[in-house]
Amino acid sequence: MSEGGWSAVLIHPDDDVAVALRALEPGAVRVRRGDAVIDATLAEPIALGHKFALHDIAPGEPVRKYGDSIGVAASAIKTGAHVHVHNLRSERARKAD
Amino acid sequence: MSADVIFAYSRPKGRAGVRNHLLILSVVGLTSPAARRIHQSLPGSKLIAAAHGRGQLGEDAAAYRRQLIGLARHPNNGAALIVGADRRSADAVAQAVADIGKPVEVVTLDDTHEDALMLADRGVRAGARLTHALGRQRRERLPIAELFIGVECGHSDATSGLVANPLAGALCDRLVDRGAAAVVGETLEWLGAERALARRAASQEVADAIVASILRREAAAAATGTDLTGNNPGDENIRGGLSTIEEKSLGAVAKAGSRPIRGLLALAEEPQENGLYVMDGPAFSPESLTGFAASGAQLMAFTTGPGNSFCNALAPTIKISAHPETARRLPEQIDFDASAVLAGKERLEHAADRLLALVCEVASGAPTWGEILGESDETPARLGQSF
Repeated sequence: MSEGGWSAVLIHPDDDVAVALRALEPGAVRVRRGDAVIDATLAEPIALGHKFALHDIAPGEPVRKYGDSIGVAASAIKTGAHVHVHNLRSERARKAD
Repeated sequence: MSADVIFAYSRPKGRAGVRNHLLILSVVGLTSPAARRIHQSLPGSKLIAAAHGRGQLGEDAAAYRRQLIGLARHPNNGAALIVGADRRSADAVAQAVADIGKPVEVVTLDDTHEDALMLADRGVRAGARLTHALGRQRRERLPIAELFIGVECGHSDATSGLVANPLAGALCDRLVDRGAAAVVGETLEWLGAERALARRAASQEVADAIVASILRREAAAAATGTDLTGNNPGDENIRGGLSTIEEKSLGAVAKAGSRPIRGLLALAEEPQENGLYVMDGPAFSPESLTGFAASGAQLMAFTTGPGNSFCNALAPTIKISAHPETARRLPEQIDFDASAVLAGKERLEHAADRLLALVCEVASGAPTWGEILGESDETPARLGQSF
């Protein structure tokens, strides 16, 4: 974001994923976390509104956004990777296996 | 315009109207074609042509009837013309309208010995008389506390949870603090946000009722043998960056703001007091909006990411988006552009003050894009199968 010098945001300081505030290219990105701005490195392009991991997440671990779990990692998620339906799984209202 | 005053139609009982419609309501699918003829002959009238109304039992029948009565009594109707097949069911709806002092007339196929053309003729004449009378009603200066607003999201993306929904929440807070009422619905989109909602409940009883409604809805969804992913969140949500129902829900509940939740309403149930409520209802926005309207909401705030043209028929629907391209791409759809907040160029609180001012303007007669274009309908929900 040009105004504050960041282009992604952690909605809650404890979140595992940040949200892109504009379309982002791989490489360095500034992320707002509460009143601070932290540095991260993107492994791939991230579209506006999409999210990326701020640290490695192991399969089966919960993924937090809004300070709450939004599902579990379906596979290993590397720092800076796009987090979406390909590697994040809902834990709610699943059909019986 | 002051943010605490609206110019609206005072009603003998209940909240003020922000519009003054003649409603033509067909209470059963059998008479909906005739009701359409009547509507075409009365420019400016509002038509609700129910598709069902018979062969319904139990909770489905009760909820459908509650929705039709709520829509007939809606504050934005200056008068109602009830069109039905049999006298008994049409009169029951008309009596509920007369009970709040609203002008109402009834025409039925019983009276015309099944002659639908005669029904249309009688309906046009009765509707013309009602319109003549309601044109004498005038707007007057009233407190904003008269307002009851429904808050909805449709075609959400990640900008909804970041800005548009928190903005709608800030609007709710402003309205509740001024003595008005607000409702948020779509039970399925509370899945994963139980804690966020329950800790805002005004009492343990309300918290328990909210959590129970979510678990009921989740069990019903799971019982159909399908995963929610791909259905809810849907394709446009997923394109916009939302991955799971939990993520969508946590963003969606932000539109309820931060004030205590006074109670859990059934579909189309009118809140007995002012303040913030949640409604246990369908997540599909046409049905959700009709649930709000049938509970008496006079105005809707509707957030979207990429756009969503659908509006409620009786209640002006203010479309809000924070996506930087949406307002530019859809200038005849988006009533409120919140993209400056996403860009860091406007504070959310400032945008919420602007939105409250727009709510007052619309409540006082300024048309929304959806009203100008007639992109609206009423969609009463079914809660069971037809028998």
